Amino acid sequence: MKKNITLYVNDEPRELLVDVKRTLLDVLRNDLGLTGTKKGCDMGECGACTVLLDGQAVTSCLVLAVETDGREIKTIEGLGGDPGQLHPVQKAFVEKGAIQCGYCAPGMVMSAVGLLNENPAPTEEEVRAAMAGNLCRCTGYVKIIDAVLSVGKRGRENG
Amino acid sequence: MDDYAVVGKPVVRVDALEKITGNAIYGTDIKIPGMLYGKIFRSTCAHGKLVRVDTSKAERVKGVRAVVTGKEFPITHGSAWIKDQPFLAIDKVRYIGEPVAAVAAIDEDTAEEAAQLIQAEYEELPAVFDPLEAMEPGAPLVHENLAQYAHAEAFHPLAGTNICNYFKVRLGNLEEGLREADYVLEDRYSTPMVQHCPMEPHAAVAQIDASGKITVWTTTCSPFVTRGELARALQIPMTKIRIIPTWVGGAFGSKQGPKLEGYCIALSQKAHGRAVKITHSRSEEFACSLARTACISQFRTGVQKTGKICAVEVKLIWETGAYSSHSPAVSRNAGFSAAGPYKIPHIKIDSYCVYTNNPIMGAMRGFGIPEVAWGLESHLDMIAAKLALDPLEFRLLNVVEEGTTYATGERLHSVGLRECLEKAAARIGWQDPPVGKFTGKGIACMHKSTGTPSSSAAIVKLNEDGSAVVLTSAGEIGQGVATILAQIASEELGVDMERLQVSRPDTDLTPFERSTSSSRNTFHTGNAVKMAARDAREQILAIASQVFHVPPADLEIRRSKVFVRQEPEKSISLEKLWRAGIYSQQQLPIVGKGIYSTAEVYDPVDPETGRSKSPSVFWMYGAQAAEVEVDIETGRVNVKRVVAAHDVGKAINPQGCEQQIEGSIANGWSIAILEELKAEKGKVLNDSFADYKIATALDVPRIEPIIVEAKHDLGPFGAKGLGEPAFAPTAPAIANAIYAAVGVRIKDLPITPEKLLRCLQQKKEGSAG
Repeated sequence: MKKNITLYVNDEPRELLVDVKRTLLDVLRNDLGLTGTKKGCDMGECGACTVLLDGQAVTSCLVLAVETDGREIKTIEGLGGDPGQLHPVQKAFVEKGAIQCGYCAPGMVMSAVGLLNENPAPTEEEVRAAMAGNLCRCTGYVKIIDAVLSVGKRGRENG
Repeated sequence: MDDYAVVGKPVVRVDALEKITGNAIYGTDIKIPGMLYGKIFRSTCAHGKLVRVDTSKAERVKGVRAVVTGKEFPITHGSAWIKDQPFLAIDKVRYIGEPVAAVAAIDEDTAEEAAQLIQAEYEELPAVFDPLEAMEPGAPLVHENLAQYAHAEAFHPLAGTNICNYFKVRLGNLEEGLREADYVLEDRYSTPMVQHCPMEPHAAVAQIDASGKITVWTTTCSPFVTRGELARALQIPMTKIRIIPTWVGGAFGSKQGPKLEGYCIALSQKAHGRAVKITHSRSEEFACSLARTACISQFRTGVQKTGKICAVEVKLIWETGAYSSHSPAVSRNAGFSAAGPYKIPHIKIDSYCVYTNNPIMGAMRGFGIPEVAWGLESHLDMIAAKLALDPLEFRLLNVVEEGTTYATGERLHSVGLRECLEKAAARIGWQDPPVGKFTGKGIACMHKSTGTPSSSAAIVKLNEDGSAVVLTSAGEIGQGVATILAQIASEELGVDMERLQVSRPDTDLTPFERSTSSSRNTFHTGNAVKMAARDAREQILAIASQVFHVPPADLEIRRSKVFVRQEPEKSISLEKLWRAGIYSQQQLPIVGKGIYSTAEVYDPVDPETGRSKSPSVFWMYGAQAAEVEVDIETGRVNVKRVVAAHDVGKAINPQGCEQQIEGSIANGWSIAILEELKAEKGKVLNDSFADYKIATALDVPRIEPIIVEAKHDLGPFGAKGLGEPAFAPTAPAIANAIYAAVGVRIKDLPITPEKLLRCLQQKKEGSAG
């Protein structure tokens, strides 16, 4: 069975006709060509598919596309401003050396942005707990945590 | 003190921007117009004759465009070592999950539905799931035709058995060495089947054009290995198959050689050349892609009271599962290194690679060294304990150094091991008393060779405006090689990194690269790039010398400007050389070539003794110290810190070195504490991240990397390699720390709370009785 839905993806309304059993991850990647959001397990266990749904980090492989009708979705492609302008979290990842193979990186960044949306100055423990659902096999998480903390710290410094 | 412009300096990775914006295209992201989606139908029988495959129902599903079985494509591939693996089962299946048929359809759901309608009939054969049982005379034979398989000369399958490789080392005289010993200890250790768990599953897309040319996009690390194997298997010239590696989302040894490409090609052939894409599900990644060889290691070591090691005997049993993959090479290379980085005159090693009907096991980061180091470094600590020697001092007494002649006859060069041990120990506070009750520190070290002989080629070509492109087939799989090569080219050529670009690999376009593996690329590809950059520089200087009317030897290039060395105010930018028309006057495009090979350096290993004056162009060394606290109520181990000192020769990119060390140790911790791929009668039980736990951001200990530089005369700027070494010492360092903390020794990974509690209980009962 198919349904007409309108998703607001990266501030752009997208009208789609989708089968009701398809996931948001699948629709983003295959229908909208937004392959920045990755599929790592399709079971909500690795976090590679993390996007922001109405500002909250979710694993898009566990969200049905039809559930997101009329709602706002932000993916990695929608984070920076103009081309070449990175979101502070993206910039921190680059500067701190938090990217190796890069497959987990979009999900990590979206989880971090989701965390900082709710908690602008998290402690290290809070960062680790918030990112524990994003698996990485390359980095050991060391520079990823450094990167997120550095953005948070700036948030703290700015009052 | 080295004074380089970019080598050794902090630089931002050249691939960071593309990856962090979501623009990087991985194998799983490829989409071609008209593309079909493939699905593999797999055996549910661990060992049996394949009597019949009925694909008729699948073929009738609306949306299915192609179905293939082994009978239609009866070709073998597998790794380069032993040609034992059909890419679709032909007359026999040997493991649960073995591909039997494949189907391509207009979407994934249709392909999945069709695959489920395929029926296969098996006549079950007795199966064997334990490598020791598989070595017994009379065990069911997984490959009864082993004697007929083509295999590389360096390998020795034993006909009529399940042993697909036997490697031995006989140096000195073991019995004589043991007689000199004051104390002999025998020990047995094991590591189970574990999985690489790259975040990106395997994926491939194949398309065939009207002329029959096959283009393949794939998650391979080593496109020339993949191309060579496929061209040979399909019996086509290499001009008819093009491998384009996509960005790789992690590999750790699982993405070498053909994986899914063959199925995509076969289906595309049946679908009139339409692109066919196959992606592994995570369950397929766990249960039937590639796992790491399970290893049993047995040691018998003789030492003198002083702590001097006289002799060591090692027996290694590597379980490779149903097909050999790279395991024969693992059993050989790790077997060769199994006595460790120590001065031992009498060494006897027997290393066996064994088939069973479990899923395929093969190489993982470290190529067998982590499995061997687990056993050896734990074993050495038990000896130290028995002799009441400090484990650090015991190692320092025996370790190899610059200029040591190893038992094989090789005179070692670039050996930073002593410095690694001393620095790791100093940083962890080795001499400090333990803080808290059940706490302790442990240390472990390692050595690893790199595949020799091998070769790499590179081209550096100048754009007309003086910017440059490096053409290379080294795979950027996360390890940071693209950045390293950019740094090397920039330094050698004199062009700023901002004006320099490193190509992506493509077997039609970029020059030959043996492989991306074996921690070899900084050294081999780096040398090739350095040579190509130097060649390009000389061509530029030949032109520029006509501008300044001085010989080229009096000129140099820095920051994209050509200078007269003695009169630096006389300079011209590369771009100006172009604008002034000087290049166009010459009509000579500048193309620098670099070809680096270690064929001349290599001395073949004697198959009877293991002797060789030069088995490996360089050796990597490292030491790690761990500090743990054990909870004796729950059996949980809190690994508080791991200090890691690794000898890299020269750190071209220090941040990149930290990245490799940190990632390796997180994996090493995970393997030590959490990981075991469990199988029952050949069926994998924990094929998801829910049931096969790996380290999360909450788990990893504090990691402190220390870079040691024992420059290598042949390495680019003295550099060696670092992709694999830091994965080896972590587990034994942790186990040694646990022993220091609570006096119990776990010999079989992983170190679970249950095992620890059981050992603590046994110890309590032992001392009570």
